[in-house]
Amino acid sequence: MSEALVHIENFRMDFGDKTVIRDLSFDVARGETFGFLGSNGSGKTTTIRALLGIYQPTGGSLHIDGRPFKPEDGDRLGYLPEERGLYKKEKVIDIMTYFGRLKGIDRHAAKTWSLQYLDRVGLPDKANVQLDKLSGGQQQKVQLGVTIMNEPELLILDEPTKGFDPVNRRLLMDIIAEQKTTGATVVMVTHQMEEVERLCDRVILLKNGTAEAYGTIDEVQNQYGGRVIRLKHAGPVPPSPRYTVTLSETNYSELSITDDTDEADILKDLIAAGVTVRGFTTTKISLEEIFIRVYGDQNKADAATYETAKV
Amino acid sequence: MAQHNLGTVVSFEFLRTISKKRFWVGTLSVPLIMAVVFGLIYISNSSTASAADAQEKAEFSISYTDASGLITPEQAGLFKATQAASPEQGVEGVRSGTVDAYFEFPADPATTEVKVYGADQGLFENNKYSAVAEAMLNQAVNARIGSDALATLAAGKASIDVTTFKDGQKAGGFNAALPPLMFLVIFYALIILLAGQMLSSTLEEKENRVTEMILTTLNPTTLISGKVIALFGIGLVQMIVFASPVAISYLFFRDQIKIPDLDLAALVFEPVPMIIGFLLLIGGFALFTTTLVAIGAVMPTAKEAGNFMGVMMALIFVPFYAISLIFSNPQALIVQVFTYFPFSSPVTAMLRNGLGSLSIGEAAIVIAILFIGSAIMFRLAVRLFQYGSISYTSKVNIKTALSKGRNTSPPVSTNPGKRES
Repeated sequence: MSEALVHIENFRMDFGDKTVIRDLSFDVARGETFGFLGSNGSGKTTTIRALLGIYQPTGGSLHIDGRPFKPEDGDRLGYLPEERGLYKKEKVIDIMTYFGRLKGIDRHAAKTWSLQYLDRVGLPDKANVQLDKLSGGQQQKVQLGVTIMNEPELLILDEPTKGFDPVNRRLLMDIIAEQKTTGATVVMVTHQMEEVERLCDRVILLKNGTAEAYGTIDEVQNQYGGRVIRLKHAGPVPPSPRYTVTLSETNYSELSITDDTDEADILKDLIAAGVTVRGFTTTKISLEEIFIRVYGDQNKADAATYETAKV
Repeated sequence: MAQHNLGTVVSFEFLRTISKKRFWVGTLSVPLIMAVVFGLIYISNSSTASAADAQEKAEFSISYTDASGLITPEQAGLFKATQAASPEQGVEGVRSGTVDAYFEFPADPATTEVKVYGADQGLFENNKYSAVAEAMLNQAVNARIGSDALATLAAGKASIDVTTFKDGQKAGGFNAALPPLMFLVIFYALIILLAGQMLSSTLEEKENRVTEMILTTLNPTTLISGKVIALFGIGLVQMIVFASPVAISYLFFRDQIKIPDLDLAALVFEPVPMIIGFLLLIGGFALFTTTLVAIGAVMPTAKEAGNFMGVMMALIFVPFYAISLIFSNPQALIVQVFTYFPFSSPVTAMLRNGLGSLSIGEAAIVIAILFIGSAIMFRLAVRLFQYGSISYTSKVNIKTALSKGRNTSPPVSTNPGKRES
């Protein structure tokens, strides 16, 4: 792994007597696209805010380029927060030019870039329109433009696709992919697992205030079984040390297997055990399946707590 | 980049305010109303003068009786007044319409009222009867005195010039008091006009959810400084606009609208009171601005913040409850409290500075209180904005925001059913 642009070590975050992050350490390498995953309430936004100096950590250190982040240091940061918003009563071009100026771009260049961007995202006639006259999706596009207009070295996107329709989501993903090709380091907080699989080099999964999994997507997939056998069958699937039954329905099961197990041996074992095999497909476990596996129990626990509270 | 960004913030905040139609509608409405009022005064004065002239020249028949013997028939003849045989006949003449007015001058007009009877011409027009009766009496008395100069003095119209000395030097008097008191007028105008904007300047970032974008782009100290400077600039623009009709009227229409003939050349600009007044203005403005900005950073909505604005506005009017003591007994306890309590001190101290009852030592203490208070409130405003404005929907816990941990609450998503992430 190349040099870390983001370095978080032993990060702890308390709000009063509530601990959101217990002990979190990870790096984001320069130039990589990093997926920051976790269920609602797992502490993703808290971590990002602490990294950017909006929150002061209870413990540990959070560094960008070797030091705590300060806006006045002139780092080329692009941050799209989960809580979206700009100056609603101002014209789009004025807002974009203002933020461009704050990011160190001269007025003319900021205006020119903004007009080109608006043209690209299908808003060429909205430059002189008051922001609150635009739809929610259009406002999101303007905010994304403000985020990337200084060619950021580090781009942090907190749920970037929130509020976008599929067409605009694709446009957004293309823009993020472009940023990646220019050498930007991208940190994405998202629940869109297919986008993570498509764009991210490495991921971290947060659970209970710590890292549940951390590494490349392959490494994380391997950590959670690596490959999955989708089995259509008749008769019960017997237990075996070669696999774990992760899903069992009538005539359909999913078996999780590790890297060093040969699928052919499993097929032989199943036939030998009297299972009638009607379909046998091997795939890699998806991030979405991992997500459900990791956070499914937590959601059940949350639901139980909610039911108890209601009673 | 901070210096560059300060200019960017000032220019953005200033231009976006003064480029709004509603700003100019609000700002121009004041001079417009003033112009309308001045216009009405002008028209009224013109018509009043015309009416006075008409009254003076109005000829109406008068009968009179004079028990004092002051009014000679010759003098009465100047008013074309004829003597009635008796008061009863005089009154009856008016009642029957044979004369327009009857004046009954008593034996001792100094202690007994002159009775005037007239044909009713309406509430204001009827004043001509008493005016003419008084004129008849004055003319008779002046004739008895026999000297215009003595008559003027007897009328209490003597011109008196007072000269006082302070520290062995000729004191400026009213002409010296007026210039420092102008700072008080400026202070009131700035606070009254700009308090709402001061309060909403940081609320806007919060209500529009711009806080995170701003805090990761800009140092909050630069942002708050830029907003305060822009507010001062906006205040100056408004004051120039508001003052323009007064200045224009004074310079070009002074006689027509009867503005008191103030001789600006006679005003005395004493350096010490002027410097003190200026520093009190700057310190007071800074204290109120930073305090209102801090309140804006704490409150989640403009509506909730509005309650505090009322308190702040009340504080600048509170010293007027002790106005007589400020004039007559500046050392009274209540005046001292108002002088040194930060939020009442700008008004009290500026009044006392203009009236000459604020010593240099007292002024130094008040100025120090205002500037130190401003600095503290500025740091508080920045800190509350930095660590509190992220609380979009709830009031900031000030104690928590200022404590070492300084995190107010975990993020709460706007997504239904979602907690923080």
